Amino acid sequence: MTATTIGDQLAGPAVSAPPPRPKARAGPVEWIIVHIAFVAISAFFLVPFLWLLSAAFDGKASAYLQLPVEPTIMNFVRIFTEHDFAHVLANSVFVAVATMILVVFSVSLAGYSLSRLDLRRKDWITYAVLLLQTMPISATMVPIYGLARQLGLRNSYLGLILIHAAIELPFLIWLMKGFFDSIPRHLEEAAWLDGRSKLRALYEIVLPLARPGLGIAAGLAFLSAWAEVLMVVILIDQDNLKTVPLAFYEAMRTQGGYTEVQFGVIAAMAVIYLLPVMVVFFAARRLMVRGLMSSTRGL
Amino acid sequence: MADVEFDEVWKQFASQTAAAVQGLSLAIPDRELLVLLGPSGCGKTTALRMLAGLEEPDRGDIRIGGKSVVGLEPKDRDVALVFQSYALYPHLSAQDNIGYPLKVRNLSRQDQQDKVKRVAELLGIGHLLPRRPAQLSGGEQQRVALARAIVREPRVFLMDEPLSNLDAKLRVHTRTELKTLQRDLGTTMVFVTHDQAEAMSLANRIAVLNAGELQQIGTPDEVYDRPANVFVAEFIGSPPMNLLDASRDGDALVVAGGWRIPAPGAATARNGTVRVGLRPEGITIDPDGQAAEVVAVEPFGSEVIIDVRVGDQHLKIRAAPDVRPEPGSNVGLRADPGAVRLFDRSTGVAVR
Repeated sequence: MTATTIGDQLAGPAVSAPPPRPKARAGPVEWIIVHIAFVAISAFFLVPFLWLLSAAFDGKASAYLQLPVEPTIMNFVRIFTEHDFAHVLANSVFVAVATMILVVFSVSLAGYSLSRLDLRRKDWITYAVLLLQTMPISATMVPIYGLARQLGLRNSYLGLILIHAAIELPFLIWLMKGFFDSIPRHLEEAAWLDGRSKLRALYEIVLPLARPGLGIAAGLAFLSAWAEVLMVVILIDQDNLKTVPLAFYEAMRTQGGYTEVQFGVIAAMAVIYLLPVMVVFFAARRLMVRGLMSSTRGL
Repeated sequence: MADVEFDEVWKQFASQTAAAVQGLSLAIPDRELLVLLGPSGCGKTTALRMLAGLEEPDRGDIRIGGKSVVGLEPKDRDVALVFQSYALYPHLSAQDNIGYPLKVRNLSRQDQQDKVKRVAELLGIGHLLPRRPAQLSGGEQQRVALARAIVREPRVFLMDEPLSNLDAKLRVHTRTELKTLQRDLGTTMVFVTHDQAEAMSLANRIAVLNAGELQQIGTPDEVYDRPANVFVAEFIGSPPMNLLDASRDGDALVVAGGWRIPAPGAATARNGTVRVGLRPEGITIDPDGQAAEVVAVEPFGSEVIIDVRVGDQHLKIRAAPDVRPEPGSNVGLRADPGAVRLFDRSTGVAVR
């Protein structure tokens, strides 16, 4: 080692690097096996969706996957005529959109604070937020029910919106903190020196740059509030406040008086229930990928 | 238009053991271009940020135009800062970047456009206004940042190493422009840099900082000719001042290799050991002088820097471009008595 020169050291790795391994080319048998595996795995995950589609258009749908026995669109007509599904959908949309707005507003401020402000014990606060995220929500079901009763938040949109926002906030605060961390401080400092207040600088300079993050926070908040079941079940029992998950639940339980579950109706509801999710996903998929990739740098 | 004062300003960051700025006192008269010069971590940027209101001092007072600005929000200080990174708003065009401080001040759209246009023409970036920062070169971004600072006519310009991201040629060119611009606008400017050549060429006065403490403040000539201590002597000048341990013997100082440097003016100096400081141009080659071995010769076109060894000490000498001694040969050295500077060997402070 003592005798090596700088030149030797530089040349060393190149010389000792292993020769590139010849690329393994799959034989026809391997090719077939791999593809059969892919198809099997995909089918496993796709079956529930196939069932939904098939059952929704079947007048005699059952719990088993089958081609429509009696092709019809009556299931869709019935959910809107007999089950007041338009109203239920409107409730769900309202709650999910309101949750989304509340969450975006809150995580903008909270994420920014944790990223930028000189708070005492900031590390503790930041990790406490993360700890909250790890708590299983079902463990707090009973106290939340009691609290909601005491505060008069049962059977109210506000109660649902608050609890849905609370469920999503910890993770999204972390996500946004990561985004704000990746925006250079100099930009907002420049805005302050240009004469802007801190809040205006946040609004005019920082938030526009955090748009990918806000986009993904909005998307996730909407989807989470849209899909949440447990809190809806414990907080809502009035028909006019019912959201989609509760409508499912009731359709399962009461249709046909415990004797006959109307699978076609449930499937039709589910198909419509999935549509906004698809729309949100395809509208925001670029933003979400960009957002998730860049957020991991800050975490 | 305003003067700036730092009065016994202290700043300590929680994450560091030593205070970033220690008892800084500085008075910067109106219209002056003062350069804060020092190595990285010397507290120059912290001092600038305290002046801008981006950091608050722990103790002491900072005044702009005679009024204390401590506790004032950055937006209420009426100072403009050009960042090293330029800090252009990436989502706004050059036009909107430059116009942003005017928009904040609720100028009419027409006034905004007129002013932006005028400043952009002044800096030769009129044709770049529709572009976003990402579509501009480093030099163009720097100009947009400068325009954004100038357009609002602030009381004080603050510059945090605004030239250090430019390539060497553009940096020298912009330096000259900036100096002219500051003089024409007549606005007080505080300019932070670690580049002593930049400081020398720009400044009306230079404040040299090290480890949070002010070492010396003076004109470029003063800090070059009469460095207040060993740090300043070594930090300013390229190559820096030669420093040699010496002991006194009558009217002369004896350095390594038995070289006797006549120093009659230094009679007031404390007896015993001192350090002798000699600028590279304060030593001339003279066949009758002290013998020294040539180690290396570096030609720079307009001058030649000769690296010589006397006893166990190395010195750099600045010589005319045609002086080309062979490495390994011997030359004679003579110190110009007027160029001899003395420093206390233990404290490093200049002995006058």
